[in-house]
Amino acid sequence: MSGPLDGRGVVVTGAGRGVGRGIALACAAAGADVIVASPGENGAETVAEIEQRGGSAAWVRCDVTRGDDVRAVMAAARGRRGVHVVVHNATSRRSSEPTRLEDLDGAAWEDHAAVSLRGAYHCARAGLPALPRDGGRFILMTSPAGMEGSTMLPAYGIVKGGLRGFAKSLAREWAPLGVTVNVVSPLAETPAMIAAAEQDPGLRPRLARRIPLGRMGDPEHDIAPAVVFLAGDGARYITGQTLVVDGGRFMLL
Amino acid sequence: MADAVRRGGGTAVGVTSQLGSRAEAEQALAEATGALGPLDVVVHALVDPAALVAAPLTETDEASWDARCEAALRTALACAQASFVQLRDRGGRLVFVTPTVGLTGAAGLVPYVTAVEGIRALVKSAARQWGRHGITANCVAPPVALVAAGAEDPGIEAPALGRPPATRRDVAPVVAMLAGDPGHFVTGSTVTVDGGVVMAP
Repeated sequence: MSGPLDGRGVVVTGAGRGVGRGIALACAAAGADVIVASPGENGAETVAEIEQRGGSAAWVRCDVTRGDDVRAVMAAARGRRGVHVVVHNATSRRSSEPTRLEDLDGAAWEDHAAVSLRGAYHCARAGLPALPRDGGRFILMTSPAGMEGSTMLPAYGIVKGGLRGFAKSLAREWAPLGVTVNVVSPLAETPAMIAAAEQDPGLRPRLARRIPLGRMGDPEHDIAPAVVFLAGDGARYITGQTLVVDGGRFMLL
Repeated sequence: MADAVRRGGGTAVGVTSQLGSRAEAEQALAEATGALGPLDVVVHALVDPAALVAAPLTETDEASWDARCEAALRTALACAQASFVQLRDRGGRLVFVTPTVGLTGAAGLVPYVTAVEGIRALVKSAARQWGRHGITANCVAPPVALVAAGAEDPGIEAPALGRPPATRRDVAPVVAMLAGDPGHFVTGSTVTVDGGVVMAP
Protein backbone atom coordinates (compact mmCIF):
# COMPACT_ATOMS: atom_id res chain seq x y z
CA MET A 1 0.00 0.00 0.00
CA SER A 2 1.29 3.47 -0.73
CA GLY A 3 -0.15 6.94 -0.51
CA PRO A 4 -0.07 10.24 1.38
CA LEU A 5 0.68 8.54 4.72
CA ASP A 6 3.60 6.43 3.48
CA GLY A 7 6.13 5.76 6.19
CA ARG A 8 3.91 7.09 8.97
CA GLY A 9 2.64 5.40 12.09
CA VAL A 10 -0.97 6.15 13.02
CA VAL A 11 -2.58 5.26 16.35
CA VAL A 12 -6.39 4.98 16.28
CA THR A 13 -8.35 4.38 19.49
CA GLY A 14 -11.66 2.57 19.33
CA ALA A 15 -10.65 1.14 15.95
CA GLY A 16 -12.36 -2.21 16.47
CA ARG A 17 -15.58 -1.06 14.83
CA GLY A 18 -17.57 1.81 13.44
CA VAL A 19 -15.91 5.09 12.52
CA GLY A 20 -12.62 4.08 14.18
CA ARG A 21 -12.44 0.93 12.05
CA GLY A 22 -13.11 3.00 8.93
CA ILE A 23 -10.33 5.42 9.87
CA ALA A 24 -7.91 2.54 10.45
CA LEU A 25 -8.73 0.99 7.07
CA ALA A 26 -8.39 4.30 5.21
CA CYS A 27 -5.11 5.25 6.90
CA ALA A 28 -3.65 1.84 6.06
CA ALA A 29 -4.83 2.23 2.47
CA ALA A 30 -3.02 5.59 2.42
CA GLY A 31 0.23 3.86 3.32
CA ALA A 32 0.32 4.16 7.11
CA ASP A 33 1.21 1.49 9.63
CA VAL A 34 -1.85 1.52 11.88
CA ILE A 35 -1.86 0.71 15.57
CA VAL A 36 -5.38 -0.41 16.32
CA ALA A 37 -6.03 0.43 19.98
CA SER A 38 -9.13 -1.38 21.11
CA PRO A 39 -10.25 -3.03 24.33
CA GLY A 40 -11.86 -6.01 22.58
CA GLU A 41 -10.97 -8.78 20.16
CA ASN A 42 -12.56 -6.81 17.30
CA GLY A 43 -9.25 -4.94 17.14
CA ALA A 44 -7.70 -8.12 15.72
CA GLU A 45 -10.49 -8.27 13.12
CA THR A 46 -9.65 -4.75 11.92
CA VAL A 47 -5.98 -5.73 11.63
CA ALA A 48 -6.87 -8.92 9.72
CA GLU A 49 -8.94 -6.87 7.26
CA ILE A 50 -6.05 -4.42 6.73
CA GLU A 51 -3.54 -7.22 6.21
CA GLN A 52 -5.85 -9.02 3.82
CA ARG A 53 -5.88 -5.86 1.69
CA GLY A 54 -2.08 -5.74 1.77
CA GLY A 55 -1.73 -3.08 4.49
CA SER A 56 0.26 -2.92 7.69
CA ALA A 57 -1.30 -2.85 11.16
CA ALA A 58 -1.10 -4.23 14.69
CA TRP A 59 -3.67 -4.53 17.45
CA VAL A 60 -2.76 -3.45 20.97
CA ARG A 61 -5.39 -4.18 23.60
CA CYS A 62 -6.13 -0.85 25.22
CA ASP A 63 -8.60 0.62 27.65
CA VAL A 64 -8.10 4.36 27.04
CA THR A 65 -9.31 5.20 30.54
CA ARG A 66 -6.04 3.68 31.83
CA GLY A 67 -2.87 5.70 31.38
CA ASP A 68 -0.70 2.56 31.47
CA ASP A 69 -2.63 1.03 28.59
CA VAL A 70 -2.28 4.15 26.46
CA ARG A 71 1.44 4.42 27.21
CA ALA A 72 1.82 0.77 26.13
CA VAL A 73 0.13 1.60 22.82
CA MET A 74 2.55 4.45 22.17
CA ALA A 75 5.50 2.22 23.10
CA ALA A 76 4.31 -0.45 20.68
CA ALA A 77 3.98 2.13 17.91
CA ARG A 78 7.46 3.49 18.61
CA GLY A 79 8.77 -0.04 18.18
CA ARG A 80 7.35 -0.04 14.63
CA ARG A 81 7.26 3.12 12.51
CA GLY A 82 6.76 5.59 15.34
CA VAL A 83 3.79 7.78 16.17
CA HIS A 84 3.18 10.47 13.58
CA VAL A 85 -0.57 10.70 14.08
CA VAL A 86 -2.85 9.99 17.05
CA VAL A 87 -6.59 9.71 16.41
CA HIS A 88 -8.65 9.52 19.60
CA ASN A 89 -11.96 8.15 18.41
CA ALA A 90 -13.04 5.84 21.26
CA THR A 91 -16.30 6.61 23.06
CA SER A 92 -18.24 5.02 25.88
CA ARG A 93 -20.17 1.86 25.02
CA ARG A 94 -23.14 3.72 26.48
CA SER A 95 -22.84 6.54 23.91
CA SER A 96 -26.05 5.56 22.10
CA GLU A 97 -28.31 5.09 25.15
CA PRO A 98 -31.06 7.74 25.04
CA THR A 99 -31.17 9.58 28.36
CA ARG A 100 -33.02 12.44 29.96
CA LEU A 101 -30.52 14.89 31.42
CA GLU A 102 -32.31 14.79 34.79
CA ASP A 103 -31.96 10.99 34.87
CA LEU A 104 -28.27 10.85 33.90
CA ASP A 105 -26.67 8.92 36.76
CA GLY A 106 -23.15 9.10 38.11
CA ALA A 107 -22.06 5.77 36.61
CA ALA A 108 -23.18 6.64 33.08
CA TRP A 109 -21.56 10.06 33.31
CA GLU A 110 -18.34 8.56 34.66
CA ASP A 111 -18.14 6.14 31.73
CA HIS A 112 -18.65 8.91 29.16
CA ALA A 113 -16.09 11.19 30.83
CA ALA A 114 -13.56 8.39 31.33
CA VAL A 115 -13.45 7.20 27.73
CA SER A 116 -13.84 10.48 25.85
CA LEU A 117 -12.22 13.08 28.11
CA ARG A 118 -9.74 11.15 30.24
CA GLY A 119 -8.96 9.07 27.16
CA ALA A 120 -8.05 12.26 25.28
CA TYR A 121 -5.92 13.38 28.21
CA HIS A 122 -4.04 10.07 28.31
CA CYS A 123 -3.56 10.04 24.53
CA ALA A 124 -2.18 13.59 24.57
CA ARG A 125 0.15 13.02 27.50
CA ALA A 126 1.45 9.69 26.28
CA GLY A 127 1.46 10.75 22.64
CA LEU A 128 3.39 14.02 22.74
CA PRO A 129 6.81 12.54 23.57
CA ALA A 130 6.44 10.31 20.49
CA LEU A 131 4.94 12.82 18.05
CA PRO A 132 7.43 14.45 15.67
CA ARG A 133 8.05 18.18 16.03
CA ASP A 134 6.99 20.03 12.88
CA GLY A 135 4.59 17.45 11.55
CA GLY A 136 2.90 15.56 14.39
CA ARG A 137 -0.87 15.29 14.22
CA PHE A 138 -3.43 14.88 17.00
CA ILE A 139 -7.01 14.33 15.86
CA LEU A 140 -10.18 14.06 17.95
CA MET A 141 -13.75 13.21 17.08
CA THR A 142 -16.71 15.38 18.02
CA SER A 143 -20.36 15.17 16.99
CA PRO A 144 -23.34 17.37 16.11
CA ALA A 145 -24.51 16.63 19.69
CA GLY A 146 -21.39 18.38 20.94
CA MET A 147 -22.00 21.51 18.89
CA GLU A 148 -25.77 21.99 19.00
CA GLY A 149 -26.83 19.92 22.00
CA SER A 150 -28.93 16.77 21.86
CA THR A 151 -32.47 15.83 22.78
CA MET A 152 -31.45 12.17 23.09
CA LEU A 153 -27.82 11.94 24.22
CA PRO A 154 -26.93 14.74 26.65
CA ALA A 155 -23.92 13.00 28.23
CA TYR A 156 -22.48 12.25 24.80
CA GLY A 157 -23.08 15.89 23.86
CA ILE A 158 -21.22 17.15 26.94
CA VAL A 159 -18.09 15.09 26.33
CA LYS A 160 -18.10 15.77 22.59
CA GLY A 161 -18.48 19.51 23.24
CA GLY A 162 -15.72 19.26 25.81
CA LEU A 163 -13.37 17.69 23.27
CA ARG A 164 -13.67 20.77 21.08
CA GLY A 165 -12.49 22.92 23.97
CA PHE A 166 -9.70 20.40 24.56
CA ALA A 167 -8.63 20.57 20.91
CA LYS A 168 -8.71 24.36 20.57
CA SER A 169 -6.61 24.80 23.70
CA LEU A 170 -4.16 22.02 22.90
CA ALA A 171 -3.80 23.40 19.36
CA ARG A 172 -2.56 26.68 20.86
CA GLU A 173 -0.38 24.88 23.39
CA TRP A 174 1.33 22.62 20.85
CA ALA A 175 1.49 25.07 17.95
CA PRO A 176 5.03 26.21 18.88
CA LEU A 177 6.08 22.56 18.53
CA GLY A 178 4.63 22.28 15.05
CA VAL A 179 2.12 19.64 16.21
CA THR A 180 -1.42 20.32 15.00
CA VAL A 181 -4.62 19.43 16.82
CA ASN A 182 -7.92 19.19 14.98
CA VAL A 183 -11.39 17.73 15.33
CA VAL A 184 -13.65 15.85 12.92
CA SER A 185 -17.42 15.90 13.35
CA PRO A 186 -18.81 12.87 11.53
CA LEU A 187 -22.32 11.73 10.85
CA ALA A 188 -21.92 8.07 10.05
CA GLU A 189 -23.62 4.73 9.86
CA THR A 190 -22.27 3.09 13.01
CA PRO A 191 -23.08 -0.37 14.37
CA ALA A 192 -25.29 1.26 17.01
CA MET A 193 -27.13 3.25 14.34
CA ILE A 194 -27.58 0.17 12.14
CA ALA A 195 -28.96 -1.80 15.10
CA ALA A 196 -31.33 1.04 15.95
CA ALA A 197 -32.51 1.23 12.32
CA GLU A 198 -33.30 -2.50 12.37
CA GLN A 199 -35.59 -1.93 15.36
CA ASP A 200 -37.12 1.19 13.82
CA PRO A 201 -37.37 1.08 10.02
CA GLY A 202 -38.44 4.73 9.93
CA LEU A 203 -35.26 5.92 11.61
CA ARG A 204 -33.03 6.07 8.54
CA PRO A 205 -35.46 8.08 6.36
CA ARG A 206 -36.18 10.44 9.28
CA LEU A 207 -32.48 11.12 9.80
CA ALA A 208 -31.84 11.38 6.06
CA ARG A 209 -34.44 14.15 5.72
CA ARG A 210 -32.29 16.32 7.98
CA ILE A 211 -29.12 15.73 5.96
CA PRO A 212 -28.80 17.83 2.78
CA LEU A 213 -26.86 15.08 1.02
CA GLY A 214 -29.68 12.72 1.92
CA ARG A 215 -27.88 9.85 3.65
CA MET A 216 -25.70 8.89 6.59
CA GLY A 217 -21.98 8.69 5.83
CA ASP A 218 -19.99 5.52 5.39
CA PRO A 219 -17.16 5.38 7.98
CA GLU A 220 -14.43 4.30 5.59
CA HIS A 221 -15.42 6.09 2.40
CA ASP A 222 -17.15 9.27 3.61
CA ILE A 223 -15.65 10.08 7.04
CA ALA A 224 -12.14 8.62 7.06
CA PRO A 225 -10.87 10.52 3.97
CA ALA A 226 -11.20 13.73 6.00
CA VAL A 227 -9.03 12.19 8.73
CA VAL A 228 -6.46 11.07 6.16
CA PHE A 229 -6.37 14.64 4.85
CA LEU A 230 -5.84 16.15 8.32
CA ALA A 231 -3.14 13.54 8.98
CA GLY A 232 -1.27 14.38 5.78
CA ASP A 233 1.13 17.10 4.66
CA GLY A 234 -1.62 19.10 2.95
CA ALA A 235 -3.15 19.99 6.32
CA ARG A 236 0.03 21.35 7.91
CA TYR A 237 -1.35 24.92 8.23
CA ILE A 238 -4.64 23.82 9.80
CA THR A 239 -4.91 23.65 13.58
CA GLY A 240 -7.59 24.07 16.23
CA GLN A 241 -10.34 23.48 13.67
CA THR A 242 -13.44 21.34 13.53
CA LEU A 243 -13.89 19.72 10.13
CA VAL A 244 -17.57 18.88 9.80
CA VAL A 245 -18.12 15.74 7.69
CA ASP A 246 -21.84 15.22 7.98
CA GLY A 247 -23.48 15.59 4.58
CA GLY A 248 -24.27 19.24 5.29
CA ARG A 249 -26.23 18.59 8.49
CA PHE A 250 -24.50 21.38 10.41
CA MET A 251 -23.80 24.63 8.53
CA LEU A 252 -23.60 27.24 11.26
CA LEU A 253 -19.90 28.01 10.98
CA MET B 1 -22.69 38.54 49.68
CA ALA B 2 -26.17 37.94 51.09
CA ASP B 3 -25.53 40.78 53.56
CA ALA B 4 -24.56 43.10 50.72
CA VAL B 5 -27.78 42.30 48.89
CA ARG B 6 -29.83 42.97 52.03
CA ARG B 7 -28.01 46.26 52.64
CA GLY B 8 -29.01 47.22 49.12
CA GLY B 9 -32.65 46.64 50.02
CA GLY B 10 -32.97 43.16 48.50
CA THR B 11 -33.83 39.78 49.95
CA ALA B 12 -31.12 37.13 50.13
CA VAL B 13 -29.97 34.03 51.92
CA GLY B 14 -26.49 32.54 51.90
CA VAL B 15 -26.19 28.76 51.55
CA THR B 16 -22.84 27.02 51.93
CA SER B 17 -22.28 24.00 49.71
CA GLN B 18 -19.47 22.31 47.78
CA LEU B 19 -22.01 21.27 45.10
CA GLY B 20 -19.85 18.17 44.81
CA SER B 21 -22.73 15.81 44.11
CA ARG B 22 -26.31 15.94 42.95
CA ALA B 23 -27.48 15.30 46.53
CA GLU B 24 -25.44 18.26 47.80
CA ALA B 25 -26.76 20.53 45.06
CA GLU B 26 -30.35 19.47 45.74
CA GLN B 27 -29.81 20.10 49.44
CA ALA B 28 -28.41 23.58 48.75
CA LEU B 29 -31.36 24.55 46.55
CA ALA B 30 -33.82 23.06 49.05
CA GLU B 31 -32.28 25.22 51.78
CA ALA B 32 -32.58 28.27 49.53
CA THR B 33 -36.23 27.62 48.74
CA GLY B 34 -36.93 26.89 52.41
CA ALA B 35 -35.72 30.39 53.24
CA LEU B 36 -36.93 32.37 50.21
CA GLY B 37 -39.76 30.40 48.63
CA PRO B 38 -39.82 28.80 45.17
CA LEU B 39 -36.95 29.49 42.77
CA ASP B 40 -37.28 31.06 39.33
CA VAL B 41 -33.66 31.42 38.29
CA VAL B 42 -30.43 29.55 38.93
CA VAL B 43 -27.12 31.14 37.89
CA HIS B 44 -24.12 28.83 37.96
CA ALA B 45 -21.07 31.06 38.19
CA LEU B 46 -18.82 28.83 40.28
CA VAL B 47 -15.22 28.69 39.12
CA ASP B 48 -12.41 27.02 41.02
CA PRO B 49 -9.51 29.52 40.80
CA ALA B 50 -7.08 26.57 40.80
CA ALA B 51 -8.54 25.48 37.46
CA LEU B 52 -7.33 28.76 35.95
CA VAL B 53 -3.67 28.43 36.87
CA ALA B 54 -2.00 27.77 33.53
CA ALA B 55 0.05 24.59 33.19
CA PRO B 56 1.06 22.47 30.17
CA LEU B 57 -1.17 19.44 29.74
CA THR B 58 1.85 17.14 29.70
CA GLU B 59 2.71 18.36 33.20
CA THR B 60 -0.83 17.85 34.48
CA ASP B 61 -1.20 14.69 36.56
CA GLU B 62 -4.40 12.69 36.69
CA ALA B 63 -5.57 14.19 40.00
CA SER B 64 -5.04 17.68 38.62
CA TRP B 65 -6.87 16.79 35.41
CA ASP B 66 -9.83 15.65 37.48
CA ALA B 67 -9.79 18.71 39.72
CA ARG B 68 -9.49 21.21 36.84
CA CYS B 69 -11.77 19.53 34.31
CA GLU B 70 -14.04 16.70 35.35
CA ALA B 71 -14.86 18.12 38.80
CA ALA B 72 -16.15 21.31 37.15
CA LEU B 73 -18.32 19.23 34.81
CA ARG B 74 -19.71 17.11 37.66
CA THR B 75 -20.57 20.26 39.59
CA ALA B 76 -22.30 21.88 36.60
CA LEU B 77 -24.25 18.69 35.95
CA ALA B 78 -25.29 18.42 39.61
CA CYS B 79 -26.37 22.05 39.59
CA ALA B 80 -28.42 21.59 36.41
CA GLN B 81 -30.09 18.42 37.68
CA ALA B 82 -30.87 19.94 41.08
CA SER B 83 -32.27 23.03 39.37
CA PHE B 84 -34.57 20.85 37.26
CA VAL B 85 -36.09 19.38 40.44
CA GLN B 86 -37.02 22.94 41.49
CA LEU B 87 -38.16 24.20 38.10
CA ARG B 88 -39.76 21.22 36.36
CA ASP B 89 -43.33 22.11 37.32
CA ARG B 90 -43.15 25.90 37.28
CA GLY B 91 -40.57 26.71 34.63
CA GLY B 92 -37.62 29.01 35.11
CA ARG B 93 -34.27 30.18 33.86
CA LEU B 94 -30.81 28.67 34.00
CA VAL B 95 -27.75 30.80 33.29
CA PHE B 96 -24.24 29.37 33.22
CA VAL B 97 -21.14 31.54 33.18
CA THR B 98 -18.78 30.16 30.52
CA PRO B 99 -15.76 32.42 29.83
CA THR B 100 -14.84 33.18 26.22
CA VAL B 101 -11.77 30.89 26.45
CA GLY B 102 -14.30 28.16 25.66
CA LEU B 103 -14.84 29.74 22.26
CA THR B 104 -11.22 30.60 21.55
CA GLY B 105 -9.28 27.90 23.38
CA ALA B 106 -6.34 28.85 25.62
CA ALA B 107 -2.86 27.36 25.94
CA GLY B 108 -2.19 26.14 29.47
CA LEU B 109 -5.88 25.81 30.24
CA VAL B 110 -6.73 22.60 28.38
CA PRO B 111 -8.59 20.96 31.32
CA TYR B 112 -10.61 24.06 32.23
CA VAL B 113 -11.52 24.93 28.63
CA THR B 114 -12.61 21.31 28.10
CA ALA B 115 -14.98 21.79 31.03
CA VAL B 116 -16.26 25.12 29.70
CA GLU B 117 -17.08 23.66 26.28
CA GLY B 118 -18.66 20.64 27.97
CA ILE B 119 -20.84 22.99 30.01
CA ARG B 120 -21.89 24.88 26.87
CA ALA B 121 -22.98 21.58 25.33
CA LEU B 122 -24.75 20.64 28.57
CA VAL B 123 -26.69 23.90 28.45
CA LYS B 124 -27.77 23.29 24.85
CA SER B 125 -29.05 19.80 25.66
CA ALA B 126 -30.81 21.16 28.76
CA ALA B 127 -32.42 23.83 26.59
CA ARG B 128 -33.64 21.21 24.11
CA GLN B 129 -34.88 18.70 26.68
CA TRP B 130 -36.36 21.07 29.23
CA GLY B 131 -37.95 23.63 26.95
CA ARG B 132 -41.33 21.92 27.26
CA HIS B 133 -41.12 22.47 31.01
CA GLY B 134 -40.88 26.21 30.39
CA ILE B 135 -37.21 26.20 31.31
CA THR B 136 -34.65 28.21 29.34
CA ALA B 137 -30.93 27.55 29.59
CA ASN B 138 -28.22 29.93 28.35
CA CYS B 139 -24.57 30.80 28.73
CA VAL B 140 -23.02 34.19 29.39
CA ALA B 141 -19.40 34.47 28.28
CA PRO B 142 -17.21 37.16 29.87
CA PRO B 143 -13.42 37.29 29.49
CA VAL B 144 -11.75 34.72 31.69
CA ALA B 145 -9.88 37.48 33.54
CA LEU B 146 -13.21 38.53 34.99
CA VAL B 147 -13.81 35.19 36.71
CA ALA B 148 -10.27 34.64 37.99
CA ALA B 149 -7.80 37.41 38.69
CA GLY B 150 -4.59 36.92 36.74
CA ALA B 151 -6.03 34.46 34.23
CA GLU B 152 -5.26 35.45 30.66
CA ASP B 153 -7.24 35.28 27.45
CA PRO B 154 -5.39 34.55 24.21
CA GLY B 155 -5.87 38.28 23.50
CA ILE B 156 -6.78 38.15 19.85
CA GLU B 157 -7.97 41.74 19.63
CA ALA B 158 -8.47 44.70 21.96
CA PRO B 159 -12.09 45.21 23.00
CA ALA B 160 -14.00 47.12 20.31
CA LEU B 161 -15.61 49.19 23.06
CA GLY B 162 -12.22 50.28 24.33
CA ARG B 163 -12.12 48.60 27.74
CA PRO B 164 -12.71 45.20 29.31
CA PRO B 165 -16.09 44.63 30.99
CA ALA B 166 -16.81 45.08 34.69
CA THR B 167 -18.98 42.41 36.31
CA ARG B 168 -21.64 44.57 37.88
CA ARG B 169 -21.89 47.27 35.26
CA ASP B 170 -21.55 45.19 32.11
CA VAL B 171 -22.09 41.47 32.70
CA ALA B 172 -24.74 41.33 35.43
CA PRO B 173 -27.35 43.20 33.32
CA VAL B 174 -27.05 40.55 30.61
CA VAL B 175 -27.59 37.80 33.17
CA ALA B 176 -30.59 39.78 34.44
CA MET B 177 -31.90 40.09 30.87
CA LEU B 178 -31.73 36.33 30.36
CA ALA B 179 -33.29 35.77 33.78
CA GLY B 180 -36.05 38.34 33.26
CA ASP B 181 -38.96 38.90 30.90
CA PRO B 182 -36.91 40.29 27.98
CA GLY B 183 -35.03 36.98 27.76
CA HIS B 184 -38.04 34.68 27.87
CA PHE B 185 -37.65 33.33 24.32
CA VAL B 186 -33.86 33.00 24.32
CA THR B 187 -32.63 29.47 24.98
CA GLY B 188 -29.55 27.42 24.14
CA SER B 189 -27.56 30.58 23.39
CA THR B 190 -24.14 31.79 24.39
CA VAL B 191 -24.08 35.56 24.85
CA THR B 192 -20.57 37.00 24.69
CA VAL B 193 -20.10 39.99 27.00
CA ASP B 194 -16.52 41.06 26.46
CA GLY B 195 -16.80 44.48 24.85
CA GLY B 196 -16.22 43.09 21.38
CA VAL B 197 -13.16 40.84 21.46
CA VAL B 198 -14.52 37.45 20.47
CA MET B 199 -17.00 37.58 17.59
CA ALA B 200 -18.40 34.17 16.67
CA PRO B 201 -18.93 33.27 12.98
